[in-house]
Amino acid sequence: MERIEIRDLVPEPMARLRAEELDRRVWHRDLELRRGQYYLLETESGRGKSSLCSFLYGLRDDYRGQILFDGTDIRQFSRARWAEIRRNEIALLPQEMRLFPELTVMENIQLKNRLTHHKTSEQIGAMLSALEVEDKADTLVSQLSIGQQQRVAIVRTLCQPFSFLLLDEPVSHLDARCNELASQLILAEASAQSAGIFVTSVGNPLAITNLSNL
Amino acid sequence: MWRLLRKNISGWQMAGYAIASIVGLAIVIIAYQFYRDARGLLGESETVTSEYAVLSRPVSMLSTFGIGAKASEGIDQEDIDALAQQPWAKRVGEFTAANFSVTGSVEFGGKSMWSHLFLEAVPDEFLDIAPRGWGFNPADGAQAEIPIIISKDYLALYNFGYASSRGLPQINEGMISKIPFYLYLSGNGHSNRYRARIVGFSTRLNTIAAPLDFIQWANERYAPGQEAQPSRLIVEVDDPGNPEIERFLSRAGLEVAGAGLDKSRAATVLKLVSSAIGAVGIAICALALFILSLSVTLLLQKNRQKNSNLLFLGYSPRRVAGCYLQLVGWINLGVTAAAIGALLIASYLWRGPLVQMGAQPSSPWAGILLGAIVMVIITAIAYLSIWRSLSHLK
Repeated sequence: MERIEIRDLVPEPMARLRAEELDRRVWHRDLELRRGQYYLLETESGRGKSSLCSFLYGLRDDYRGQILFDGTDIRQFSRARWAEIRRNEIALLPQEMRLFPELTVMENIQLKNRLTHHKTSEQIGAMLSALEVEDKADTLVSQLSIGQQQRVAIVRTLCQPFSFLLLDEPVSHLDARCNELASQLILAEASAQSAGIFVTSVGNPLAITNLSNL
Repeated sequence: MWRLLRKNISGWQMAGYAIASIVGLAIVIIAYQFYRDARGLLGESETVTSEYAVLSRPVSMLSTFGIGAKASEGIDQEDIDALAQQPWAKRVGEFTAANFSVTGSVEFGGKSMWSHLFLEAVPDEFLDIAPRGWGFNPADGAQAEIPIIISKDYLALYNFGYASSRGLPQINEGMISKIPFYLYLSGNGHSNRYRARIVGFSTRLNTIAAPLDFIQWANERYAPGQEAQPSRLIVEVDDPGNPEIERFLSRAGLEVAGAGLDKSRAATVLKLVSSAIGAVGIAICALALFILSLSVTLLLQKNRQKNSNLLFLGYSPRRVAGCYLQLVGWINLGVTAAAIGALLIASYLWRGPLVQMGAQPSSPWAGILLGAIVMVIITAIAYLSIWRSLSHLK
């Protein structure tokens, strides 16, 4: 996939609101995301950044306007096609992380990796150690701190091929040093895949220098 | 994935479903198999859906002395028409009697034995056998060989009653057909000898039957001008268990010869009882399916978040549904195996007594196949309910 186009998008529940009540940095805009380029969407909480990510990932379709992947309206995609997109074309790290608390760190990551066969166990181990959570591999996710969970979720998100990487406040629970480590890992993986990055933030953005502000 | 999803499975619900469906399925297939095995005993075959009954006037004391009223005389056209109009009567045929004198004779090495005989005829479509050489061509006249069908009971009477008590040899159907004998017909100033041969044995007709064409031709020749009143009727009925038949017959003053209809009635009762038990089994199966659907829906509700997260990761809905289907599939496989086990034990137990009574129990494959079909249907319905529950997730 080479480009994502967003045209005059607004969530259905907000469609009745007057234009000035909506955050124009997020809604009623025409945006184009290109593969290989990095974008940052920065606004305050509650302005709809997560909703936008859900729309782009096919988790919700209660919006007005249009989203096009390489010119095709995503409303046409079947559930099977969405499953394929989520395995091979778009990776999303949601703000709520969506880990399985009853599984261990490694089981959580393998649940994704067994589907994509994208990384070897050694590569996963290396990514965990790059984010300093390698000793937690066999720990239940429910026993991790939020910051540790966020790092595990980052690793899991990277265990797949993608053209675009959507990161919804990926480092909100990380300190500056961990943010730096995560940013390097993400950047390395994205550039290896020549992927585009779309990252949202409320003021603690990913430590990547060449992010263009939307 | 399985490790993740199985955590919310309730063992009690699944055990409840399994027990209920084992009981239901076992009842269905055992009832079906028993019906198949036992119906041979009652003479019902798969291809015959109707039965024949031979009807006559009851013989009363008065008719014995020749002073009978109408009820003890023959059967007239009125009776035939009334019978033919009954909705349960598919076809009605008459027994046409020979109105002339018949004598049969057999020659054994120079010695001859003879006896007075009688002959009757029914339309060919009421015969239960179609022997070779049946029929009569009037052009052959006195040169014709007359084919004869006799009741199987007569042969049994000879073999097991007469022959065994007198130390005579028993004979089988093949041997009897090879013996040529002669019929002497006389009346109206004619007297002729005809070659005759027994060509078949009937279980339906207890008479000595010749082709209808021959009897009509001979009545014309040996007893012209005599009105041939049918002595008996043969009727094909669609449902021998129909109580309307008995009511009509007693009203019309007719009785049924032999146990033809009783046997059929017993077969109908067997069918009814088997169907009733089968219906109970199906009802239990339906309730079990209901439990299964509820349990699966509940499980899917409890796993809603997990299912949704699996779809989020890129698992296809088909694959997630497949995981639950596997659960249902394994349980149902176990249920089917247990029910088939029960069927095999039950059919083993009834095989001995049924064989003693003269039935030939069929192989249990029909019951096994039925069980498999029912289980495939239940699994398919469960899969649909799984698929529907998952289809709400994005």
